[in-house]
Amino acid sequence: MSIMKLSIGPQHPISAHFRFLLDVDGDVVLKLEPDVGYTHRGIEKLAEKRTYLQNLPVIERVNSYCDSAGTMLGYLEVIEELMGLEVPERAKYLRVIAAELNRIASHLYAASLFSVATGLETMLMWPINDRELILDLLERLTGQRITYTYQTIGGVRFDMPDGFKEEALKRLDYLEKRTEDYYKMLLWNHTFHMRTKKVGILRPSDAIKLGVVGPNLRASGVKVDVRKDEPYEVYDRFDFSIPTGKNGDSYDRLEVRFKEVGQSINILRQALKDIPKGPIKKWVPPIVPKGEAYTRVEAARGEFGYHLIGDGSMKPYRLKISPPSFRNLIALPHLCQNIPLADVPIIYISLDLIPMDVDR
Amino acid sequence: MIDKSAEELIVDSVKARFPEEVIEAKVQRKNRVSISVRNNRIYDVGLFLRDELEFDHIASVSGVDYIDMNEFEVIYYVWSINKKVLVGLRTKIPRDNPVLKSLVDVWEGVLYHEREVWEMFGIKFEGHPNLSLLLLPEDWDGPPPLRKDFVLPETHQERLEEKIKKLSSG
Amino acid sequence: MIGLEFLILGLDFPQFIELVLKVLIFPGLAFPLLFAIIVIWFERKFLARIMLRIGPLHIGPFNRTGLLQPIADFIKLIQKEIIVPDNAHKLIYNLAPIMAALVASLSVAFIPYAPKPGGGYWMIFYTPFSLLVILAIFTARPFIIIAAGWASNSKYCTIGALRAALQLLSYEVPLALSLASIVIMSGTFDLAKIVEAQSSIWFIILQPIGFIVVLIGMMTEIARRPFDIPFAEQEVVFGWPTEYTGTQFALIMVSEYFDLCAVTSLITVFFLGGWSGPAIPLLNDISPILSGIFWFLLKMAILTVIIIMGRGIFPRVRIDQLLDAGWTIGIPLAILQISITLLTAQWWLPLVRGG
Repeated sequence: MSIMKLSIGPQHPISAHFRFLLDVDGDVVLKLEPDVGYTHRGIEKLAEKRTYLQNLPVIERVNSYCDSAGTMLGYLEVIEELMGLEVPERAKYLRVIAAELNRIASHLYAASLFSVATGLETMLMWPINDRELILDLLERLTGQRITYTYQTIGGVRFDMPDGFKEEALKRLDYLEKRTEDYYKMLLWNHTFHMRTKKVGILRPSDAIKLGVVGPNLRASGVKVDVRKDEPYEVYDRFDFSIPTGKNGDSYDRLEVRFKEVGQSINILRQALKDIPKGPIKKWVPPIVPKGEAYTRVEAARGEFGYHLIGDGSMKPYRLKISPPSFRNLIALPHLCQNIPLADVPIIYISLDLIPMDVDR
Repeated sequence: MIDKSAEELIVDSVKARFPEEVIEAKVQRKNRVSISVRNNRIYDVGLFLRDELEFDHIASVSGVDYIDMNEFEVIYYVWSINKKVLVGLRTKIPRDNPVLKSLVDVWEGVLYHEREVWEMFGIKFEGHPNLSLLLLPEDWDGPPPLRKDFVLPETHQERLEEKIKKLSSG
Repeated sequence: MIGLEFLILGLDFPQFIELVLKVLIFPGLAFPLLFAIIVIWFERKFLARIMLRIGPLHIGPFNRTGLLQPIADFIKLIQKEIIVPDNAHKLIYNLAPIMAALVASLSVAFIPYAPKPGGGYWMIFYTPFSLLVILAIFTARPFIIIAAGWASNSKYCTIGALRAALQLLSYEVPLALSLASIVIMSGTFDLAKIVEAQSSIWFIILQPIGFIVVLIGMMTEIARRPFDIPFAEQEVVFGWPTEYTGTQFALIMVSEYFDLCAVTSLITVFFLGGWSGPAIPLLNDISPILSGIFWFLLKMAILTVIIIMGRGIFPRVRIDQLLDAGWTIGIPLAILQISITLLTAQWWLPLVRGG
């Protein structure tokens, strides 16, 4: 049979704002070439034209609808490193709480998208419903559901409201119990195993060579987590483990995310217990001194890298963002060689790529 | 004898191996090492870092436009999973002739990173298999947008009008 | 003038009325349509409950039920423009949805729904070889799909159609083999006789393996989740009907539910004893036919729920896995069922054929 060129996206039920150019022979995909850039907003250029404070809501939108708290944390880290600023203790805890809640929301979202790629719509709705509980919690804390602009230079903007701690603990207990239902419905489902096990196997050596990060790298069995390697904020005070997968297939990539939800619940419980009293924000001048810094944070999708060059003014001279989805994107053409067409959506969704994150 | 930290050992071994090529190598802070090299030998230093010093996990490739000094800087940030050190391998190239040897053969992961630097700064990577527009629109014909002399159109409307004018005249 | 045409058909007046009732109301035209409307509504509401949603809400007589939502959707669809792709084969493209609906509703004509008191059965057309006729009609369906997919001249449609063709290979053989063991047991190709053979014991008890194979085969036949591979939204957008719009799309959708109607009726006939069941006093007083129809519809409803539930709890399988399962599990199971049927003949013969 001759080779057919098939274009998936940008308007396709599964593709989001991507386009994939496929070479298909019968039912076998020979080659996949991603075409990205549909949501490119030029955030790196925008950041050079705006002050550090004005940049806060812009940077957040690098990865807006899933993990804006985790994204923001890296930007603040890099500024505070250049300034040599020490943030109040309570603010550090609140930042971690926001980031971890957001990680849970993001992983639940990833799980629901994953099950829709296999065609199980029930598990699309269940995690999305439970994600709403977390977003609700974040709304109480920050005033917004999706884009918070909660963490700011020198601290956070609001303190915890009354009764937040009890409500959060209650919901985390519920979520932990609920995860068992997910296991019964999805992860122990035989048909689901048939579709996802041994599909899109990313070997550890390849994963490192390609520079894959985050849960995708850990699913391949490489134990890398910025929270452990270079603890930022107060992550060195919590007791948690790094879940890793064995085979590096699509199933492992989902399972690692589920286990990470458990670890996030673990961290949140400790953070809510230990949080000290005190100020939540330190006043800082809006000028960042001359210098250069590179910081890494572990957001939900993986490691965010921020490279900032300050020239002593109110605006950054250069801000390079190295987002996790951009770095995971390269795994997609690597995995989509000589596979059935039906596996393409599963591999794509299992990498948990977000177009906005790739394009910036 | 005082035990040296992992970062200092890396700096020492790079300096010993490439006394000529390395302009500056220093420890920035814990877990951060910065190595500046001459632009014609970046490939060899990269290979050395990968093979001898276990820098295997590519983190980022940044381009910086120092328009006052009339040069570009390209920085490869590479993480070592075993040593837990991030190295910034940096080199400067003249602004008039921005050409650099591609490091795709050294770290496969820089494929898209280098493509991005190419389209955003116009730095040509020799030996890169596919230097085509990645993030910018397919019909992009302006100068590389992250250069400092790139003039931002005030609004999107203006850019559209400019384009229409160009099309109607040509 | 009107009212005398029955004489041309050689029928007397009550027979003519009966024929009109059968063709237009039950089990003819109105019944599959009503079945489709109710099942579409039920499917949406039922799946919504599984998924912790609410489902259709506002349209319809009772508050918060959305009973008339399928009708509203249908009205919306027939208002839409019919778009024919530029390079499509116009004739086949336009003919395929009509053919699909026609073929799907055709099989209902050969299914007996209840016995008539004076002998004979409540069905549109009686033939002693109705099982063969139905199998023949079912085989025609994939070819309409292939024609539609090819005529659309779109890549997704073509892939969807080819998948439908592959799917045919997976279910056709185990399905036919399982039906063979039914024929062995009842000794007839006549659907009505098959039902009558089950008067003392249903075949689902005598042939549980065959029931499972037939249920899965039929689900594959009408492409319900987990076997909706030709439609796989995430892979091929909507499979072979991707390019259809408006009324044509509505026809294709309705034909899907006609198929569901036919399939549940057939499984009821083969395994669940058709109309057999204790007489319902109130219905039996009006006519014993109604009592039979009641039991038939009840069994159909249970099967429909089971088939629909697949969409709520299973991910979709891959085409190679389906082919694999059809040939390595389906066929051996069907043959096993035939062997068991043959080996245990001395025990079931008195039960089925009255000694």
